Amino acid sequence: MEPERECKNRATLVDLLDRVFDKGVVIHADLIISVAGIPLIGVNLRAALAGMETMLKYGMLQDIDAKTRMWEAQHRKNEQVPLIEAEEVTLKMFGSYYYSKGIYRAWKSGYFYLTNFRLLLYYQDIAEVAFQTPLEKITAIKIRREKSFTGKDKDIIYLALEGEKVARLNVLQTQEFIEKLGDLQEKIGVGLDGELLPEELDERANNFLMDGERICCQEKMWHLMPKSGIMAESWKPGYLYLTNKRLCWWYEFEGKILFQVPIDKITGAIQERRNLSAVLIDKKVLDVVYSNNESKIVASFSGKETEEWQKTLNRMIAKESSQIGDKEIETCPQCGKKAPVKQLLEKGCPRCGWVSPRLKKTKVVSS
Amino acid sequence: MTEGRYVYCVGENNERINLGRIGIEGSQVYTIPYKDLCAVVHNCPAQPYESKDKKVVESWIIAHEETIETAWKRLGTVLPLGFDTIIKADEEDPEEVVKAWLKEDYQSLEEKLNKVKGQVEYGVQISWDTKIITRELIEKDPELKRLEQEITSKPKGVAYMYKQKLEKLIRGKLEKEAERCFKEFYETIKHCTDEVKVEKLKKEDEPRQMLMNLSCLADKDDRTLGGELEKFNNREGFFVRFIGPWPPYSFV
Repeated sequence: MEPERECKNRATLVDLLDRVFDKGVVIHADLIISVAGIPLIGVNLRAALAGMETMLKYGMLQDIDAKTRMWEAQHRKNEQVPLIEAEEVTLKMFGSYYYSKGIYRAWKSGYFYLTNFRLLLYYQDIAEVAFQTPLEKITAIKIRREKSFTGKDKDIIYLALEGEKVARLNVLQTQEFIEKLGDLQEKIGVGLDGELLPEELDERANNFLMDGERICCQEKMWHLMPKSGIMAESWKPGYLYLTNKRLCWWYEFEGKILFQVPIDKITGAIQERRNLSAVLIDKKVLDVVYSNNESKIVASFSGKETEEWQKTLNRMIAKESSQIGDKEIETCPQCGKKAPVKQLLEKGCPRCGWVSPRLKKTKVVSS
Repeated sequence: MTEGRYVYCVGENNERINLGRIGIEGSQVYTIPYKDLCAVVHNCPAQPYESKDKKVVESWIIAHEETIETAWKRLGTVLPLGFDTIIKADEEDPEEVVKAWLKEDYQSLEEKLNKVKGQVEYGVQISWDTKIITRELIEKDPELKRLEQEITSKPKGVAYMYKQKLEKLIRGKLEKEAERCFKEFYETIKHCTDEVKVEKLKKEDEPRQMLMNLSCLADKDDRTLGGELEKFNNREGFFVRFIGPWPPYSFV
């Protein structure tokens, strides 16, 4: 076998460059001019010869010796996104997915692969499928223009997924992505007939809302967190939500609901202006009274629309109590029969005829 | 602007020789001797050669290499220097600075010259086609073969899992085989050369995969290395790239 030599040949020139830039006799640094610019020349030239894309291919930015070469071979195999047989990729696009679990939230970037079966996001560096969903499970899409922390506007894609949390994505070319996704869904006969409710677009709500739960009102509110161990009670920032099931407060810092009470346990709501501390003077405070087993507890919240909250909560309490009246069961003090409170108070006990003194009074008066 | 001397290589010669306008940008190349050694240089400002134009840089590299080769032919063995090595002279006579360097490193340079006398550097890159090798591995291993056959008869979901398993097994086998081949080739090559250095692997397009990238120091007229490499190249699925000969950049 004869060695190939022609140094004007592209391929061998690259090999020559490896030697001419990194090797040869070394002279004392004091005697020579510092050649700071040289590595760039070498890199640029090698990149130009090899094609820009393959700059990394030439292992210039990695230091691999005999022991780690197999790691590289292994790693290279893993870089391939794991597709299933007969799966075809319609679109590959760089983008990110908003991952949130507890207090950990971050946008994770990688490549989205839109295939005839699913949408997935693949992180090449760690060879992991970070997010995936079968196409059929996507029931609604909404795009919102939001400000990112860098100050720039970006399009956030919200995907409603059957049985899952709403997914938030961001891609390089939103239009193309949406179009291709639409095309694919059409092909497999799936419609985007679901709807994205406003609360689903709210990241916090998405985390704590239960099945069938809807938000009636919400507001950014401070909450007076009770004493806990050696921590004195203190006001903390967060969000207050009134849903059709409960009143709950989301603590921003921990990313979870720290206070909640079922609606039927709330007995009253009062708002007033108060001094909360030496510095927090004349603040609007909403006190919510609720029952917990035997005792009554007050939870305090501070925000702008405390009057509104008072009205709403009290309205709600009134409705509940009238409903409760129909359902709540009490025991007759005379014979012990169980009957609805409303009945006992208005008509008397069906078994023994006991009648509430209040009723007796009115009856007497009326007759 | 301070003056400098661009140094191409160091040779064994005690005469002042003019090699002509063969240097970078057509510069006049000549030797500066000190005792039995000499530096092959051209005069330039004490400033590195830099350019954003890739074609220009390419021409400089080629001029650098070809000057060294010409010196090699004229002076016998030479020790090459990397591109853009310029000795600077702030106040002194640049020629004296070059001589001072040769004096200072005299012993080390002499030793190096003795080591590489009459020798050249070759590059050896051996790659394989993973598809072909995988095929061979499956054929030779009954368990893998059986697994492969099972895949075709199973329903899609199960087949997918089997395929994953097969791929994992194959990866393991390829790894072992690559190590085995590396050892084998390395030993053979070491036996027909004076010295071998392991270099970084280069990424290739699938299904090609580089197994080894070596720099070898061997006698100029020795044909043994070429012979052995030919045998490897003839193996099914293997590809050998044999490049050079060059001045011994990697061994100085």
